[in-house]
Amino acid sequence: MREEQMVLDVKGLPEHGFDTREPMWWGNLLLLLIETMTFVIAGAAFFYVSQNFNIWPPPRTETYSQLNPLPGLGNPTANLIALIVSASVMIWVDRSARRADKRAIKIGLLICLLLNLGSITLRAFEFMSIHVRWNSNAYGSVLWAILILHLMHLIVETAEAFILSVYTFNRPLDPRHRLDITVLAVYWYWVTIIWIPLYLMIYLGPRFH
Amino acid sequence: MSKTKEENVGVVREMRPRSEIDESSERQELERTWRAIPGLWGWLSNTNHKDIAMRYIVTAFIFFLLGGLEAALMRLQLSKPENTLLGPDLYNQIFTTHGTTMMFLFAVPILEGIGLYFVPMMVGTRNVSFPRLNAFGYYCYLLGGLFLYAGFLLNVGPDTGWFSYVPLAGPEFSPGKRVDIWAQMITFTEISALVGAVVIITTIFKQRVPGMSLNRLPLFVWSELVTSFMIIFAMPAVMMGSGMLAMDRLVSTHFFNPAEGGDAILYQHIFWFFGHPEVYIIFIPATGFVSTIIATFTRRETFGYLALVLSLIAVGFIGFGLWVHHMFATPLPQLGQSFFTGASMMIAIPNGVQIFCWLATLWGGKVNLKTPLLFVLGFVFIFVLGGLSGIVLASVPTDLQVHDTYFVVAHFHYVLIGGAVFPLFGALYYWFPKWTGRMMSEHLGKLNFWLLFAGFNLTFFPMHQLGLRGMPRRVYTYLPEMNWASFNLVATIGAGVMFLSVLTFLINVWVSRRSGAVAGANPWNAATLEWATESPAPAYNFIHPPAVNGRYPLWTRTAETPVVTGLSAERREVLLTSVVDALPQQRHELHGHSIWPLVTSFAVGVTLIFGIFTPWAYPVGSALMLLALYGWFWPKEGPKQYGTKEEQKLFFKHQTELSLRGQDPI
Repeated sequence: MREEQMVLDVKGLPEHGFDTREPMWWGNLLLLLIETMTFVIAGAAFFYVSQNFNIWPPPRTETYSQLNPLPGLGNPTANLIALIVSASVMIWVDRSARRADKRAIKIGLLICLLLNLGSITLRAFEFMSIHVRWNSNAYGSVLWAILILHLMHLIVETAEAFILSVYTFNRPLDPRHRLDITVLAVYWYWVTIIWIPLYLMIYLGPRFH
Repeated sequence: MSKTKEENVGVVREMRPRSEIDESSERQELERTWRAIPGLWGWLSNTNHKDIAMRYIVTAFIFFLLGGLEAALMRLQLSKPENTLLGPDLYNQIFTTHGTTMMFLFAVPILEGIGLYFVPMMVGTRNVSFPRLNAFGYYCYLLGGLFLYAGFLLNVGPDTGWFSYVPLAGPEFSPGKRVDIWAQMITFTEISALVGAVVIITTIFKQRVPGMSLNRLPLFVWSELVTSFMIIFAMPAVMMGSGMLAMDRLVSTHFFNPAEGGDAILYQHIFWFFGHPEVYIIFIPATGFVSTIIATFTRRETFGYLALVLSLIAVGFIGFGLWVHHMFATPLPQLGQSFFTGASMMIAIPNGVQIFCWLATLWGGKVNLKTPLLFVLGFVFIFVLGGLSGIVLASVPTDLQVHDTYFVVAHFHYVLIGGAVFPLFGALYYWFPKWTGRMMSEHLGKLNFWLLFAGFNLTFFPMHQLGLRGMPRRVYTYLPEMNWASFNLVATIGAGVMFLSVLTFLINVWVSRRSGAVAGANPWNAATLEWATESPAPAYNFIHPPAVNGRYPLWTRTAETPVVTGLSAERREVLLTSVVDALPQQRHELHGHSIWPLVTSFAVGVTLIFGIFTPWAYPVGSALMLLALYGWFWPKEGPKQYGTKEEQKLFFKHQTELSLRGQDPI
């Protein structure tokens, strides 16, 4: 056996990084890929069942409103704007986390939390503005599925932001949690971005049908 | 002694005397840091990738045995016309449970399990990227499997086939809870497969040893990488499909109800958008076994590395363009059918390339005909036959003729048993020494192989003819005048031979574990890194992860090939490297033991199991999951710092600047 051995001493390497350096960032990205696929399938189901109706969206079943089967536009649009605003605030939180600007993180997270609580409330009204129940017809089933799936993401990201806020307010800001905040931000962007095509599909698409 | 700084900040590359790379004290430290906590609590909170992977493998093999026994029962029932061993209802439950078990509880978990065992070792790291997520995946899988069999044993097993087509599986024609059990079992196992895929991809991307750039990745690791991506794109479809089915049954949605604008064909589309890639999710890891075993037992590098990798990726892509060939008997547009015929035939090209690369490797190598290689040769023979009947089925007119007959049963058993189970047995013989430290018996191994090979062909070859004679799938009996009896009897005898073969395997495992020859670190003189450590490997895999200088590192390494030092032995630290070139980037502390994955999987279990009775299980269960996740992620203590504060600050500042400017290299 040789007396000497080449070594690669990595003791001097850092312990934390951001973005593509971190497994957490990749894991998060892959989970979002999975969730994107669920929305792709839901979207495909939406267009698939649309072939089965002569009038799209199908006329409402309640007698008083048969003339206008289109989903309402007010609440959903307000919600879309709220989502975009909160994502913009999140960009700021993201950059503050990289700079370790604790005060900015605190303020930003609080704003995002409040906006998301607003979004969740607006989503509750959105279920009413689509004027169809999940068990009325296949159109209603698909719509409810998409809205609930997205609502679930809104709730999960709010819960995640909540626990990170609690942490940020109570403990010193360590690199690992700064990374967590930047990963949360990626999730946040995704929740907003994925909603844009779905919004167009659900609310605007039928208006040009 | 030369001392050169690498271009990466913080890495020193130098020759050191072996005495200075002190192993004994470091070994003790690593043992203490990585060892499993003894006792039940330790078992339940274990997150070591080898332990979790071994649980996957053993559990999946038990399900394989159960599925095999179900198959044997079906063969006994069909051995003669008008047999009365099984009634129609029990027969329906048995073939459904057999198919469901083999696809969801055996094939995917065992192949992913072997990946979870060997991918970290082959890329030279100590544990997977997300050890706790990995454990969570296993418990979800276990719960799903137990749930299915609980239903089966209570005589409420699913009875609508492994793909549970609507309208048969819908609320109108399948009242009761049987189909719901199937649908929730799907969700359990797909959660498990998906988190396994995330864990494998991230580990491959971030934790390879220095030197293992993507173009030096072992072929088995490539196959697990491609499979994992396929899982990520395919499995959400079946979760959505089975979820929609469950909702149709639970809260009267109309996804698949034609009376209210839903569509039964939509179910088939969604199911097969998953179902066809699923075949390749099962087959591609098996090709990884084949490439690995052939290289080792021909003592040469596999012919056509690049062609093999590109074929894997091509199969991964084309595999998503084939699903409609399962639906040729539905009223689809002709143009669509032609497209899917074309795609189905096209996938023969990359698969053919792989077969030819393997043959070329065998042709030029010194063939060492041990049991693992024998199984691989059996695979080549059987899989090619299965591929040929696949070309018959890819063409619309012949497909219509034999649709839903035993011809199809013969075809998919040829591709699945030939394509996955034969390589799998080869892999079990190949890696048994690494798992247990002992060799398996060659005599029993060869007996095992020949019994399986003969039994398999005896069972399934006559089914081609049965199908051509019009025997439909999923009939529990048939009349004597159909002239199907003799071939069915031959098939049943073949199943008996296969039973003996698996029995031989179990005896071999039992005997070899106790008294097999001691294997040593690298009994086959193989080239990949899992053989660079003792057998069985310690909890931390390597004392010093060995860097690599080629695709077959153990065949090409020299004293100039470095080993990695400087990782902390006091905590569970691994080296992170860049995704493409595997340049060292940072040290990273992994999480240790945790009971929360188990708790979280119980929360998932409560949700899904009660979810077949009441929709309120979903909000309540989600709240439980959220609580469990809070427990999971709540930090127990601040992270320990390693190195001086100033150094840490400096590096972190450097990286922060890079990331703010968006210049961090991948």
